[in-house]
Parts: sequence; structure tokens; C-alpha cells
Amino acid sequence: MEKKRVEEQEGVPVALPKVDRFGFVKQETSATDGPTKSRSALEHEREERRIRKWRKMIGVGGSDWKHYVRRKPHVVKRRIRKGIPDCLRGLVWQLISGSRDLLLMNPGVYEQLVIYETSASELDIIRDISRTFPSHIFFQQRHGPGQRSLYNVLKAYSVYDRDVGYVQGMGFVAGLLLLYMSEEDAFWLLVALLKGAVHAPMEGLYLVGLPLVQQYLFQLDHLVKEYLPKLGEHFAQEMINPSMYASQWFITVFSYSFPFHLALRIWDVFLFEGVKIVFKVGLALLKYCHDDLVKLPFEKLIHALRNFPNDAMNPDMLLPMAYSIKVSKRLEELKEEYEKENGKLSDRIRQKLQPS
Amino acid sequence: MARRPDEDYDYLFKVVLIGDSGVGKSNLLSRFTRNEFCLESKSTIGVEFATRTLQVEGRTIKAQIWDTAGQERYRAITSAYYRGALGALLVYDVTKPTTFDNVSRWLKELRDHADSNIVIMLIGNKTDLKHLRAVATEDAQGFAEKEGLSFIETSALEATNVEKAFQTILSEIYRIISKKSLASDEPAPTSIKEGKTLVVGPQDNNTKKTCCSTS
Repeated sequence: MEKKRVEEQEGVPVALPKVDRFGFVKQETSATDGPTKSRSALEHEREERRIRKWRKMIGVGGSDWKHYVRRKPHVVKRRIRKGIPDCLRGLVWQLISGSRDLLLMNPGVYEQLVIYETSASELDIIRDISRTFPSHIFFQQRHGPGQRSLYNVLKAYSVYDRDVGYVQGMGFVAGLLLLYMSEEDAFWLLVALLKGAVHAPMEGLYLVGLPLVQQYLFQLDHLVKEYLPKLGEHFAQEMINPSMYASQWFITVFSYSFPFHLALRIWDVFLFEGVKIVFKVGLALLKYCHDDLVKLPFEKLIHALRNFPNDAMNPDMLLPMAYSIKVSKRLEELKEEYEKENGKLSDRIRQKLQPS
Repeated sequence: MARRPDEDYDYLFKVVLIGDSGVGKSNLLSRFTRNEFCLESKSTIGVEFATRTLQVEGRTIKAQIWDTAGQERYRAITSAYYRGALGALLVYDVTKPTTFDNVSRWLKELRDHADSNIVIMLIGNKTDLKHLRAVATEDAQGFAEKEGLSFIETSALEATNVEKAFQTILSEIYRIISKKSLASDEPAPTSIKEGKTLVVGPQDNNTKKTCCSTS
């Protein structure tokens, strides 16, 4: 479902494969892939102004960032929700995720992990390398720089955290990061996410038993029923549960099969505000397609839940809708409810990790 | 639960595709349901789903196929999908001996989570890679006989035996179901629609029975 937004290419030599502005190779039959447009001068100007504002906020190499966030957190939040300018994304992601600090505190560690350590997951990682963003020009070339970087980051992580090791889906997360930063930066951002430098740790998504996936699916199931009761009822009748459509939303944070420009906008917010944006976007998608979904029988429903229409995936429509959905309080309550039945996440993890 | 008029089939059979990661499960499914093969396919995260309706033993059968992520850790999610499945296609890669060695672990997985009477077919995929073959047909054949599984080798890429593999397992399921429903007044073991289902019972006494699986 690699629907790409088609942007006009400027000054690209004819010999290169045609790619969209993010580097995904365009399919020949892309006539239905959304609006083909070149940016108007006005839009261009607006974008330039936005970049200037962002540069001021960040300071040289990120020097003013912390200060700015402390002084005007609401401004930062608002600007991030509007989308981080693409040229600054890599840097800003490192600042908001806390990965920059990890990198500075751990000089030489990444190199050590890549060069000297061996991992039990090496073969698993290699097997999936060419199956990660296979339509992106950076990752297409066999043993090319993209594939090598992806391998290195994943291998390094599998050594760094042997309990997690490597799990399918992590490649899409690492791959997305590698399109915006160096290997070492991507590695530390992965560490920041999984170990919870700023938000709740994500490692539970990938540990044995996938305990956090199970919890998130439980929470989403309830949120759908509460927020979209008619659809929730229809899902129940058709025996649809969130594991049939939403596992990959959480495991790859929408990077597996969603249009890349939408995934990036979600990631901007995800890194700053945490996982609740995944729930919000999921609910917004269901809400937007609600009237169609409630009419569909099981099989068509499953198909629809994996192939949302292009108009639903327009970030400037979908994200404001997602922001308007309030989930924090219910998420917390549902987490407690889930833990009452299944034990605390940390206990569930410990239990699984100890050989019985 | 009445059959929907637009869904014209006699039986609905749920089948799961399992086996190690990278053996070609998703491409077997896309070859069978859409006659497509994707060289640049992504690894499956969680579960995927597709259906195809076809004629088997003179009946119209709808095959509802669940394709599962192969990595061991995903079994936490995927094993829930074994429930209610009437058939399992257990796939290995003929060029990768470890994927064949792991077949017995997958069988155990089925024994632990699937219905005991599930029909299992062993599939050695990627026969197009002739120069890389590392699992002999006879070895797999012997193993399958010992375990009471049917066996076939396929190439999703060249579309060799894919149709036959699915035809075979679906007819096997059909034969078992029609035999059972003839042998007793019990409703046929169910085919499911992940819960909501319909099994059409024996045609002979014309009692259309419906069953629901729990899930």
C-alpha cells in the first residue's frame, strides 16, 4: 500500500529512477497516487519563513533548543504539530527524543558494538534487510550504503539490548530514522525510544511475548468501543479485533505501510508527545472512514482497515482531527485495568525473560 | 445466521500459513489469491489476510487464508489465529535447511494452539532456485509421511504447484468434513469467519447448520 505523494522533480538527471521527494521509487501506474503538483511560489515562501522560525528556535546545532522548550513549551508543541521542516527534521528528532544527550554521553560505544561484538540475531537481520522499505532508493541497492547502515544499526542494537535482540518491524523504525540521520545518531535514537529517555519505554513492543503490543491492542479495543460505539459494535459483530489491523501501527509507529509524508508528520508528534498520538491517529482514521466501515462485512472490513483511502491519509486533515481526540486519561485508566488482570508491564517482562 | 446473497459458496474454510520467516508465505498467498509475485515484498508484521473462492470436488469453496509473521516472537500474536483453522500450510524454504529443521517446532506449535483435527500440509517453497537446493525432496517426503502430513514442493515465483497445493489441502478438508457430517448428526466441524460463521452442513439432508467458533 505504498501510495506516494507525487511531487514534481526539479533538475533530476533523466537516468536516475524516478523517485518521489522522499526517495521512494515511483510506480509507473501512479496516476491515482494523489495530487501531482509543484509547489507554488507562495507555498515556497511560506515554507522558507517557517524554516527561518525553526532555525531561530533551535539555534546553531541545537544550542538554543532546551532553553526554548523550557520557556515556551506550548509554542514548540504547536509548531511540531504543524510539521517539522524536512531539512531540520533529523536534527530536531534527535533533540526532542533525548538521543543527542545519549550520544554525547557514550562516545565510542556505537563503534564498539558495530565492529567488535557479534549478535545472535545477525542472520535474522540480514534476511530482512532487503525486505525493509524495498521501494526506497537508499535501501534498494544490494549491500549498498543504505542496506549496510540498516544492518549496522540493527545489529548494534541487538547487541546493546540482548533481551530485545532483533524483532521484525524494528527495521522500519531504524530505516525511517536512517533517512534523516547518520547510523550512530539513528542508533541512539532507537535506544532513546526503546529505553524511554523521554517517554514510556518502547522495548515492551519487542520483548518476548510482545507484552506492550498486547496492552496497546487492549487499550485501543476499548477506546474504539467508547469513542466510536457504533463502529465498535459493528467490529464486535463481525469479529474484528485490533490485532487484525493495528499491530503494525504500534510496532512500526505507522512506518510500515502508510504514505511516507503522513508517517513523518506522525513521527514528529510521536517523538515529542509519545505513543498517545498513535492511538489518536488510529481513532481519527476510523472516525474519518466510520460511515463506510460500519457498512462493510468482515472481509471487506479487513481490507478497508489495511487500505485507507488517499483522502483519509492527508496529514493536514487527519492530524488536526487526531489532536482533537482526547485519550490520555482513558489510556491511563485502561492501562491500570489491563495491569490488574495481567500484572504490571515490568513484571510481565521479567516473568517472560526468566527461564521457567 | 443466513448466508449473504452476494457470497455464493458452499463452504468457507479457514486456513493458516505458517513457517519460518522469509520462506515465502506471503508470496504463496499473493500467487494463489491474486496471481501476483512481488520480488520486493516487505516482511510481514503481525497477520495478513486474503480469500479466494474456487471449485473443489464440485463444490464452491471459499478459502479464507491468514498469513502470519514467521519470526518466533510474533507467535505471541499469531498463535491466536490458529484457532478455528481447518487447515495449515506449513512452509519451509528448500534452499534453507534450518527452515526445514524448524518444521517440527511448528508442528508442536500447532498441536499446542490449533484444533486437533487440523489438516496440515508441508510445503517446500522456492524450487525455482535449483542450484541452491539444500533440502532433498525425499527427506521432506519421508518426514511428511512419518508425521502424517501431505507434502508438495512449490515455487511461488514460477507459479509451480501453488494452485495444486491449495487445491489439495482444500479437498482434503472437504473430504474430512463431508465424511464427518455424513457419519454423524453432529454439525460438521466448523469453518469460520473468525468467529462469525457459517458452516454449511451436509448437503444431503439439507439441514444448513451454522456454527460459531469462539474467539
